[in-house]
Amino acid sequence: MRHFIEELEDLQGRLLEMGTLVESAIHNSVRALMERSEPLAHEVLGNEDRINHLEIEIDDLAVRLLALQQPMARDLRFLTAAIKINTDLERMGDLAVNIVERAIALMNRPIVKPQIDIPQMARTAESMVRKSLDAFVKREPELARSVLLSDDTVDRLRDSIHSELISFMQEDPQSVPQALELILVARHLERIADHATNIAEDTLFLVKGVDVRHHLEPNY
Amino acid sequence: MRHFSLELEELNDLLLRMGALVESSIRRSVQSLVDRDKELAKAVMRDEPTINQMQVEVDARTTRVLALNQPVARDLRFLTATLKINTDLERMGDLAVNIAERAIALINRPPLKLVTEIPQMASLVQNMLLKSLDAFVKVDAEMAETICPADNEVDALRDKIYTDLVEFMQHDPAAVPAAVDQIFVARNLERIADHATNIAEDVIFLAKGIDFRRAVGPARSV
Repeated sequence: MRHFIEELEDLQGRLLEMGTLVESAIHNSVRALMERSEPLAHEVLGNEDRINHLEIEIDDLAVRLLALQQPMARDLRFLTAAIKINTDLERMGDLAVNIVERAIALMNRPIVKPQIDIPQMARTAESMVRKSLDAFVKREPELARSVLLSDDTVDRLRDSIHSELISFMQEDPQSVPQALELILVARHLERIADHATNIAEDTLFLVKGVDVRHHLEPNY
Repeated sequence: MRHFSLELEELNDLLLRMGALVESSIRRSVQSLVDRDKELAKAVMRDEPTINQMQVEVDARTTRVLALNQPVARDLRFLTATLKINTDLERMGDLAVNIAERAIALINRPPLKLVTEIPQMASLVQNMLLKSLDAFVKVDAEMAETICPADNEVDALRDKIYTDLVEFMQHDPAAVPAAVDQIFVARNLERIADHATNIAEDVIFLAKGIDFRRAVGPARSV
């Protein structure tokens, strides 16, 4: 059997591979929506299998390492963080697919209105995903903390998109189907940001050994 | 150090207590919606920190048991299943809170008749959660397998609610905010059903040692 450290590196490498795939799925899903691009939408759908397979591979590897090695302290925290981050990444991949489904539904309908703040929300969410993974790899608590702050920005954007679209639907009932799809896209992006926040929290736990979920963060 | 099997048993109990609280949150959140009962909705919101605290405790204990013992085979599968189920339960608790928030929003809006499929969906979803936890306790793969068909039923109801309400809003723009709230409630219930399905899949993995996601996943080689 290979050396434990190599196995851990391999695990981190696969998580990063998955992270890259998920980031690009999110990015392309929003582009598919904005550009009404069917090829981009299909690219995202085509990559879903690979993401799902990676999730299972990573889970298998992490559980095998837990079982065959007897990791202590930080290695153990790394493995449990890997299991959690894996779940978050897979879920983000699903959400990118959901956005693509909305994008496809909207392609056959007239454009309702500039897509409001959705591109800005998407950029913020994407940058949170990238930063959270970066913070995880580099074990950088400050970077992880910056992700937690961006989550509030995303929530505010979601709320303003939500109210704007509600008024829009009331003024122009014909736009209801399209506007609802956009409300759901905002909701998917907000969930992606939540999962990035989970990764940032797991990173802080990994680095500091302190659980910061649910605002239980003590003052350092 | 306490005995390993005692630790596992305690962990199991804690997870089940968390499951019971989550189940009650879901039930009360839907009840608050049906009865337009703001106090009940607030009670659901007040219980969220307890659920969160339980999640942190389950994680901490599971990690400790993993570290101090060297579990293999079935015990190891039990512990990894616990980590996953814990995440699903906490998320279900969040979704119950989302439903309670929508219930409060709806109470403050001009009344709109609740679509009949919502209580119907809710009872399916609660049943799925109870069954998935029961299957976990009994490590009963057969019982867990009955949960997936119910998930399809829940999805179909969500789609019906969506289509009906879209049409409704187009005819009655004043009802848009309340109708959108109901669409979100249906989505929250559908997500709860997805998490119950995740738990069922973990139980099957626990019981059989096979990854059910692999069995049902897209059959494409990598």
